[in-house]
Formats: sequence, C-alpha cells, structure tokens
Amino acid sequence: MVEILQYTEEHRAFRERVRAFFEKEVVPCVDEWEEAGIVPKSVWRKMGEQGFLCMNVPVEYGGAGRDFLHSVIVGEELARTNHTGLAAPLHSDIVVPYITSYGSEELKKKYLPRCVSGELVTALAMTEPNAGSDLASMTTTAVEEGDQILINGQKTFISNGMNCDLLVLAARDPVVENPYQAIDLYVVEAGTPGFEKGKVFGKMGWHSQDTAELFFNDCKVPKSNRLGIKGGGFVMLMEKLQQERLVCCIVAVAGAECMLDATINYCKERKESGRPISAFQDNQFRIVEMATEVKLGRTFLDKLIADHIEGKDIVVEVSMAKYWTTEMAQRVADGCIQLYGGFGCCEENPIGRSWRDTRVLSIFAGTNEIMKGIAAKFMGL
Amino acid sequence: MDFSLTPEQVDIQKAARDFAQGEFDPDRTLEYDHNQEFPLIIWKKASELGFIGVQFPEEYGGQGLGLLENALIVEAFCSQDSGIGTALALSDFGSEIVLRHGDENQKRKFLPFVTQGKGLSTLAFLEEGDPQGPYETTSRLNQDGYIIHGMKTLVPFGSLAHYLVVVCQAASDEHLGQSILLVARQTKGLAPLSMGQKVGMRMVPLDQISFKSVRVPPENRIGHEGSGEYQLRNFFDEIRIETGAMGVGIAQAGLDRAVDYSKRREQFGRPIVKFDVIRNKLADMYTEVEVARLMAYKAAWSFDQGKPDHRSILMAKMIASRAAYRVTYETVQIHAGTGYMTESHVEHFYRDARVLDLFLESEPVQRRRLADEITRLTK
Repeated sequence: MVEILQYTEEHRAFRERVRAFFEKEVVPCVDEWEEAGIVPKSVWRKMGEQGFLCMNVPVEYGGAGRDFLHSVIVGEELARTNHTGLAAPLHSDIVVPYITSYGSEELKKKYLPRCVSGELVTALAMTEPNAGSDLASMTTTAVEEGDQILINGQKTFISNGMNCDLLVLAARDPVVENPYQAIDLYVVEAGTPGFEKGKVFGKMGWHSQDTAELFFNDCKVPKSNRLGIKGGGFVMLMEKLQQERLVCCIVAVAGAECMLDATINYCKERKESGRPISAFQDNQFRIVEMATEVKLGRTFLDKLIADHIEGKDIVVEVSMAKYWTTEMAQRVADGCIQLYGGFGCCEENPIGRSWRDTRVLSIFAGTNEIMKGIAAKFMGL
Repeated sequence: MDFSLTPEQVDIQKAARDFAQGEFDPDRTLEYDHNQEFPLIIWKKASELGFIGVQFPEEYGGQGLGLLENALIVEAFCSQDSGIGTALALSDFGSEIVLRHGDENQKRKFLPFVTQGKGLSTLAFLEEGDPQGPYETTSRLNQDGYIIHGMKTLVPFGSLAHYLVVVCQAASDEHLGQSILLVARQTKGLAPLSMGQKVGMRMVPLDQISFKSVRVPPENRIGHEGSGEYQLRNFFDEIRIETGAMGVGIAQAGLDRAVDYSKRREQFGRPIVKFDVIRNKLADMYTEVEVARLMAYKAAWSFDQGKPDHRSILMAKMIASRAAYRVTYETVQIHAGTGYMTESHVEHFYRDARVLDLFLESEPVQRRRLADEITRLTK
C-alpha cells in the first residue's frame, strides 16, 4: 500500500527522538502541570535545545529549515502525552510563521533565533470579548504616532497568555473604515509598558494551558514591529489560518487514535462473565465504528497534510476536516468513556482528561459553525 | 388522558423553582464544584422546607407524595444548577430500599435522618470485579450478627453518609444470593477511600469502601436473607425515574442558558439567534427536553399508579440522560469560547450530564435491559 505521507528514515528517527523526549521530560510532569495551570518555561527551553521548536525556520535565523512533516510528528507525539499545556504547535506552526513569512529582516533576525531556542514563547492575540468569530468587529486599536504605534484594547482566551514573551497582536487602525483593510498585525514584547497580562481562565479542560486575558493601555511599540504591509492583517490571518486549522485536525485525529488504542487495551483486559468485554458484539461494533471513523479522519488528514506541503489551496477541505475531525474526536471520547463505564468519569482514568480537553477543538481556531460557513462560501454556495 | 399537573403539583414545582433561584448562589456553585464539596447548607435548608424525600410518608419525615412530585422538585433544582441539583437529589440515595423493604423499626430509626437533613444515606453495590459475577463482598451470619468482608467502589458520599445500604453476597449459604444490610458509617472496620476528582457531578464525591470484619447487628438486615437482588431491582426502577428527572432538569438548564445567550450575543452585526444554525440547534434542544420530560413524567406516573412500567422507566433514564448530554453539548457550542470557561456557568452542566449518563448503569447496559424487557428474556 502506498502511504499518503512519505516519511523518510530521517523522519522516523526524528519521531523516535521526540517520543523519547516527551516520555522522559513531559509525561512524568503532566499531573503537576495540570494542577499548576501552566507549564514551566524550562520545558520550552528543553524543547528548543532538542530542535523540536519552529522546525521550518530557515537556517540563517537559527532554525533547521525542516519540512512540515516534522511539525506533524511533534503534534502527533504531543497528543500522546494527554495534555495540552505545552502548546508547542501553537508556537511553532501557528504564531512564529507570521514572523517568518511577514516579518522584516530586522524582526526575523531579532526574534526568530530565540523562538527556535525556546527562549521566547509566543502567543497570538486575535479574540476579544466581543469579537470571536467575527474578526471584523475587533475593537483593539493601533494608532500611528510618528514612529510609534499606540495600542489600546483587550484580548481574551489567549493560549500561552501567561508564558508568552512575544505576542503577535491583531489590532485595527480606527481611521480606516473598511474593517478588512483596517487590521494589522504587530509584534509586541511582554514587558512593554502598557501591556498587562490579566487573569488565567478556569476551563473545562486544558488545565495545564495558561489561557489568559491581555490588556493594552497606551502600549507603545515601534512602527517597525508591524508585520507585512499596512492594512494587510486580515489577508495574512486568512492565509495562515489554513495551517492553524490543519494543526487542530492533527490534534483531533492523533488524540482520537490514542484514546481508542487505550480503550481497546482496556476492553481486552476487563472481564465480564469470564470474557473480555471486547468479545461482546455490542462493544465490538462500537469499537469498530469508532475505529472506522478514526481511519477516515486519518486518511483525510494525511491527504490534506500532503496537499498543504505541496502548497495547494485547500481552504474548503481544511474547513471540512476541522469540523469533521474535531467532532469525530468528541464522538470517540464519548464512546470510549462509555466503554469504561463508571470508572471512565474518574479523573484518575486518562480518558476523563482527554474527554474534557477534546471538547474545545470544535470551538477554537474558528467554531465548527464558522468552518461550515467558510466551506459554503468557497464552494460558491 | 390528561397531561396537566394538579394545582398542588404546580405549587410544588413553583416552590422548588423559587427555592433554587433564591438559594443556589452561582459563584458558590463554582466553588462547590471545584472543591468537590457537598452543598451542606443548601441541603439543610431544602430539608427544612421539606424538599428532600417528599415521596417518603409523613411519619418518616417525608411529605407522603409520589415520585412525580419528587421528579418535579429534582427537575426544578437541576434546571437551576446541575451540580447542586444532582447532589440534593442523591442525598437520600439508597433510603428507598429501607422504605420499601425495611421493617418498621428500621424505617423509624433511619429514614428521618435523611428526610430531616440530619444525615446523608448511600447505597454501596458496585465492585471492581466482574459485574456479572457474584459479589466479592460477603456477609456471614454468626451468633452476634453479620460480619461483612469486602470492597465496594464508586459509592456516592461514601465518606459523608450517615448510613450505608450495603449489598452483600450471603456467605452463610451460597445459594441464598444477595442480602442487603444497613450499616452505620462509623462502624469499626469500615474505611472509605476517596476516588478523587471526577469529570462531573463533583458535589457527589465517590469513595471506595473497604469492609474488614465489619459487625452489623442481625436486625439491620433489610427484608429476607437472599432478597437483595429483588430489592435492588425495585430500587433501580425508583432511582432511574429520579435520574430521568435530573436529566430533564439539566437539559432544561442548558436550553434556558442557550436561548438567553444566543439572544444577547452579537456577531456579524446581529444577535446570533438570527442565524439558521443557532435556531435549528435551539429547536432540536427544545424537542429533546420535551421528549425526555414526557418520558420521565410517564415513568413516574406509572410508578405512582402502583403499576411501574419498566420499559418507560428504562427509557426515561436513557433518553433523559442522553438529552442532557446532547443539549448541554450544544449549550457549550453556542457559548463557544466563553462556554468552555468555568466562569460561563455552563461548562459544568456538560460535565455533570456526562457523569449522569454513566450513573447507575451506562447506556449500553440500559439498552440491553430494555431489549430483555421487550423480548421478555428477562432472567
């Protein structure tokens, strides 16, 4: 059988290294991080030392210039750790690419090497209390004052919000009326006067992830911190959201695979009337149905990864995949809990955390309703 | 056929709603949930006002009402808050067995504790081993009484309950089957061990309970030796109806918040309730709530008529707990990012609904039992 994704020996060896690293440096700490509500900065550094961050950053900026399959591998292996706090894919494959693709030479030289090393943890600030799916209603303002940009406003539900050293921030120029031409992206360093981190949110899941609110009060950044050309923010966001949503699909499918594997093992061991519960037809069919969905998701996902690497425009397919795989992962989480019975609801059982963590996948990076709307639009409906 | 509630039932429903609205402080709710804490003060007040165990006769501290009236109260509580509602509903868990099968002394001694807010009760029946096999927890009768050995798991309020209703394998004669014993929580040799945090229904903490030579006086056996299975089956009918009412309440809570939020939340220049996708979700949610309610009420009504309809009762729990799960899923989805956050006060509805669905018996087991009923293969 021809595999959709052509992993080389180098990729396989890389996966082994990543897996071994997570097993040693992450898995033993997960419970502690979940309790603490944040992961320590030190683990970001360790990721960087191993070359597991921002793998596509070109060599001249301290990166390894590796292909997207390396990101896929890190994302999939991270899913196996059953926690979300160490949001490396967010940093490596969602936020930093804005700087790599649109940053000036100066910005790239200044920031990229430290993003690769894990010295700088990044976050992306788009969502506001009254601007979720509707980016055009964003109210955070960026006003030009000579060589400076004056930022005022509030962002919310920002992943890596507490840990972030560097922010890619979306804000609008109040003098530009057309909302689609008013948005720009700025790089903002933590510690810049006027940039304050607010509270960390209590959440259903993602307990080790420091999702926070951010405040900007006459926060001044140099004009040169703007990414790309003036007024290009909306287009940049639209362009980069394809990869962001693909990353969500990777989390969903890899997560579903892990949950199902663990549940199948449990069903083979757990006995009822002297037989393993995996021998009961009802359970068998449930498991087969879930495994079918997981395989469909995997096949769809791998095809999209291949197309994405080839640089194809797959906005429709990624929107479809984001809605379908994230709902599939939730069906699998629910079905797995069902097979564990009462023990499934105890947090001691990893499936409980997986189930809580999986719920957000159909909400963030654009809700599934938004995904269907995008697909409809690009299908010409 | 008359689907309307009596004026008395309407009054009970209103009183329960008013109580829940007045007493279930939303911020305190989040603390209870976070700390896995039973809402003691609210439960005391509810007991004082006669909301707990209304189906128990007045001589035992109840109101002498039916399961439908109890269902109305449970639903009203859960529709205000899924966590507090389920915790209060389960505060007398297992006492139904004492009421239906206990003798006069047992009823007088134990029931007023739970109906008058003096203590909680619980039922210990599940074990870690083969669910189809004989219980490993045994009760052996000697001259002084029973001696219990074994281990029970997933026991609600295992460490808080004043007394436990324990299902044991009668060890004196293995053909006897199961017996049910009333055991005071403070009895020597009985040790609860917390099972830690759960994904939902956190105000009903679960414990594992070990029994090491626990001595129980002979008069604490409920009903005949070996009648445990029969008693448990009857109890399941009763508690499934109550669980159905919890599901209806949680689903209603999810629906109410979703309707309210979708009218307030504006995106793309209009309230999101103006979008077809949201309207369709609300229509489906409303339908699920109403179907679940009809089935739960019918099940309760059949019980109160003295002719419990097992099929309706099985369906009531199954439909209502799944309705609660699906409806609150959409409640979270409609709230989107906000809905995932604790402070939205809706994410715990979804977690609670998930656990409710697993409570007593999971949906696959219920289906199996319903199929048995339909095909008359019940053993």
